[in-house]
Amino acid sequence: MRLLIVFLLLLFVLLGAAFGALNGGLVHYDLLVFQTDLPKGVALLLALVAGWLLGGLTAWIGLGLRQRRRARAQRGAADSGNGSA
Amino acid sequence: MNLPVLLILLLPLAYLSGWWTARRYIVRHSGARVSELSSSYFRGLNYLLNEQPDKAIEVFLKLAELNRDTVETHLALGNLFRRRGEVDRAIRVHQHLIARPNLSEDMKTIALLELGEDYMRAGLLDRAETLFADLVAMNAHAPSALRHLIGICQHERDWHEAIAYARRLEEMTGESQAQQIAHFCCELAERSHAHGARDEAQRYLQQAFECLPDFVRAHLLAGQFLAAEGRYAEAVEAFESAVRADVEFVPEILPPLLDGYARSQQMERAERFLTDVLARYQGISPVLALARIYAGRDGERQAVDFLTRQLRQRPSVRGLMALIDVTIDRSSGEARENFQLLRGLTRTLLEGQAMHRCSRCGFGAKAHHWQCPSCKSWGTLRPIHGVASE
Repeated sequence: MRLLIVFLLLLFVLLGAAFGALNGGLVHYDLLVFQTDLPKGVALLLALVAGWLLGGLTAWIGLGLRQRRRARAQRGAADSGNGSA
Repeated sequence: MNLPVLLILLLPLAYLSGWWTARRYIVRHSGARVSELSSSYFRGLNYLLNEQPDKAIEVFLKLAELNRDTVETHLALGNLFRRRGEVDRAIRVHQHLIARPNLSEDMKTIALLELGEDYMRAGLLDRAETLFADLVAMNAHAPSALRHLIGICQHERDWHEAIAYARRLEEMTGESQAQQIAHFCCELAERSHAHGARDEAQRYLQQAFECLPDFVRAHLLAGQFLAAEGRYAEAVEAFESAVRADVEFVPEILPPLLDGYARSQQMERAERFLTDVLARYQGISPVLALARIYAGRDGERQAVDFLTRQLRQRPSVRGLMALIDVTIDRSSGEARENFQLLRGLTRTLLEGQAMHRCSRCGFGAKAHHWQCPSCKSWGTLRPIHGVASE
């Protein structure tokens, strides 16, 4: 299993390198505060990484909130149980 | 589908993969893992409560494999191995725990204490002693370590060291160790007296009295030492003090006391004292002693009357046997044969009977011991009151 993952990782790195080499042209970005020129491949990679991080952040916040809500509910139930006893 | 559209589709795919990876990571490292560990823990606990240590060990072993950092699981495992008698495995678990580089100091000392107990169980007393002495020096779990050290000294009969440790334990915890120390002094007094060092024996007895001013064992020993020197009148005083200190020890004190009365020719005093004891003590021993005095002085008829009267109030197999012994000589023919049969039966009945029981652990013994052979506590073995015993 670990070997397969390493193989896939290498494959994607090679594909990424080939993609970057084939799309060497620059893209101009105006980000209000500053302006920059980035290669097309790097821009795409940055966009993908940003999407991946955004997805992770959403999952982390969502699950964290859910767990906190559950813990609060359990604590409330325990407190009311102690109170009635 | 052209390339730009494909590239645009890659963005939500990246978002989704990030979301899925994060979710999987969180679930694996919190809820599921914890619930798996805690369910195994409770399963192990359940086996323990149901007194199924083998299955508990199996579960805890698995738990320790799942999470190698759980010190408590390893401690529980070691304890279980020791309790099951697998001391070598318990030692390995605790040694492995101590060897961990990232173990906190507190946990390390707990593991050391456990390892010391393993060594004690394995009979490696010298190693256990070194470990416990180190713990005392480090002032870590010192009361427990001191208790174990006292236990080791008792086992090796090193009473001086035991007294030193007991005094230290007293200072540390504030709990009185006076009774234990007084018993240690009595052990030293007995040993000195056996070696002919009478003055030294007296000094130890004095130390015992300093710990407990009205200590029954010290009174009894004082009486025995005086009787050995032929000072019977003084010995009788000491034995009577022993009875006054704790009337429960009458069965142990009466034989030398009666001998002292006889040798110092104080039989009237004996009668007075025993009658007084009879009012305070519910056992049969003073009745039998008084019956013997009456038999010697007033004749067997008087003794039989007294015994019969007392047996109605305090029924006892030992009393019945004494009654048979007295009446058997006066009977003949078939009645004599019946009495002999009855005497044999009562003797058999008493043979397997425990006469003393430890008030702490319930251990039963035929002979009296100052230290319980089972739980090793001092002065807890008391005469059993009942028809078949005292």
